[in-house]
Amino acid sequence: MPTFTYMAKCDGCGQCVDICPSDIMHIDKTYRRSFNIEPNFCWECYSCVKACPQHAIDVRGYADFAPLGHSVTVRREEEKRTISWKVKFRDGREKNFVSPIRTTEWGSIKSPSDYDVPSADAINSQELAHEPEALNIPALPTLDPDKFKLVLT
Amino acid sequence: MFTTNPFADLPAFLSPALIQAYVVLMIVAVFGGTLFDVVHKRSGQYFSEYRAKTKSRAKRTIGGGEATTMALKTLVVEVARAGEFCSQQRQISHLFMFYGFITYLVTTVIMVFCYLGDGTPTPTILPLLWNLGALMVVIGGSWFFFLLRVDVSHEHHSPFRLVRADMFIVSLLSSVSFALLWELSKSGSNATLTGVLLALYIFSSTFLFVSVPWSKFAHMFYKPVMAYQRRVEEADGSSNLPPPADPSQTVNLQADPRQKGA
Repeated sequence: MPTFTYMAKCDGCGQCVDICPSDIMHIDKTYRRSFNIEPNFCWECYSCVKACPQHAIDVRGYADFAPLGHSVTVRREEEKRTISWKVKFRDGREKNFVSPIRTTEWGSIKSPSDYDVPSADAINSQELAHEPEALNIPALPTLDPDKFKLVLT
Repeated sequence: MFTTNPFADLPAFLSPALIQAYVVLMIVAVFGGTLFDVVHKRSGQYFSEYRAKTKSRAKRTIGGGEATTMALKTLVVEVARAGEFCSQQRQISHLFMFYGFITYLVTTVIMVFCYLGDGTPTPTILPLLWNLGALMVVIGGSWFFFLLRVDVSHEHHSPFRLVRADMFIVSLLSSVSFALLWELSKSGSNATLTGVLLALYIFSSTFLFVSVPWSKFAHMFYKPVMAYQRRVEEADGSSNLPPPADPSQTVNLQADPRQKGA
């Protein structure tokens, strides 16, 4: 089931608009608050729920496996590099989880636009742009073709 | 020009009582419009139901002293510093508009009610603050309208595309801009231009205050209430959110060898 926005909490910052992989979180013309323009296309990835700094977005669960009365909420803390989840079952049980989300400082990863534009020759390379240095490794691992030869004895 | 009461010459063709009645009418329009908004959109009903629902989840009762402290914190952080914004640029532009508008409004009321018609000289500080307030709204408002507005910055629409959500910012910007232009025009000799600008100033100000039920004006009343409610939820344990992560569970960057090269 799709995401929805609590209008009283949303401040119309647009973070959900940027992060939605389906491009279905947009800004409403009447109140300048976010809303899901096409609920059928929402695959409940929780990207917007995690990105919302106001905790204004929620996801309605499917009634067959997440019956009424349940809730799944999330708090992302960039400065601690953690994400916390609270799962509430309809019988009142609660489960809390905390997971690391980063091993590097928030904002320390270079944006693709910060890298130099690859040269025209790079199109003939088997490697993707800025590999392998952008992966912090000296070279991409390869397999020896001889290993694939069928040796009949 | 910036040190004289901009309304001082109005009594020549408008009686001071009429100008004062207009200001009172606008104040009534704001409060009446907000009340109409609360009833018509059922915001009050939604909020009381929401509050009852969260109260039933509360794990402890909040005392009077704690509630007062939270109200004061809301006033200082969310209202005075606009601390709820995650973007610093939005926060600064909002503060420009907030303090500018309040200064502009308060000085207008003082100049209209205390220094109009009876010949009492207006203290220089009042017109100066009136101009400063209006200028702050123009700076903060234009910054927001042309660059920071989510429709422009995240939706990538043209800054000149107007929708109903822009009613408040457009009428606010028009009101203060026409106020400043009207004041500037008075230093010239074109009486027609001054008259036209005064008419536009009155029209945009009336529109700003009368359109409260349809514009975002009332957000300045709703937002502090919701910010206070959030503090209450965090304090009494009724918040639906997971608790903040224990700092001891924070990922230790020193332990990650890749961090050196990052």
